[in-house]
Amino acid sequence: MIVAETRTRPKPEAATAPQLADVWRVVALNDPVNRMSYVVMVLRRVFGFDEDTARTHMLAMHERGRSVLWSGTREQAEAYVFALQQWHLTALLQLDEAG
Amino acid sequence: MKRVEIRLNISAVAPLLDVIKQGADGLKQELAIKSALPENDREFTDTWNQELLAGQNSDIRELLGLFGADFFSDGVVAIDSNNCESLLRACSALRFKILDRWLQGLPDDLLEDEDAPVTTVPEAQRLPFACYTFLDQLQKIMLEHLDPLAPDEPAE
Repeated sequence: MIVAETRTRPKPEAATAPQLADVWRVVALNDPVNRMSYVVMVLRRVFGFDEDTARTHMLAMHERGRSVLWSGTREQAEAYVFALQQWHLTALLQLDEAG
Repeated sequence: MKRVEIRLNISAVAPLLDVIKQGADGLKQELAIKSALPENDREFTDTWNQELLAGQNSDIRELLGLFGADFFSDGVVAIDSNNCESLLRACSALRFKILDRWLQGLPDDLLEDEDAPVTTVPEAQRLPFACYTFLDQLQKIMLEHLDPLAPDEPAE
């Protein structure tokens, strides 16, 4: 599996710095362009999902417009979002307020 | 290493390449889909976008490279496990651009119908639509006949 590359990001201002314990979500949105088999392949490639898991997420994106693909540290979430955007999937990084 | 050779009708593909090149030109300085980051850090956002743009341009160059002088002599494009990742991404980027630039207003069910007859599309949009479908079919062939999930081969 290829894991998204780790990126070095500039240090945020102290006043807005996220807490280490914050949980961030990687959310993928449906789009009108990418074929289903492409989306499944990308999710398997980026996250290492098996076929069934990737397909479940793809169908959630297709039917409900979005799917939460992963949650955890901000740094890793950023790496995943970057990798999805490299493959032209619309992906968001969201702070999990309940996390 | 898996390899697929696709023989294409040169006279049918040539007009599509004009659309692809226009789309590629439009993507030199902008991402196919805009990134949205929960960040007011401009330096971070700029770095993020520049890295995405560099990758996007590299992928598109790989795709344009398929249709060089060799293609116009034999009509064949060769895709293998070394270049299929870039080509898959390039097709996706260009399809977003074509949709945004030329195919606004077409219904979703038409855009998603890979067998839709081109006559159902307004005449002014037929060429971009054919290009949009062509790139989709290239992706389909790659996904079906190559294995983008295979581990990377070690460099020789």
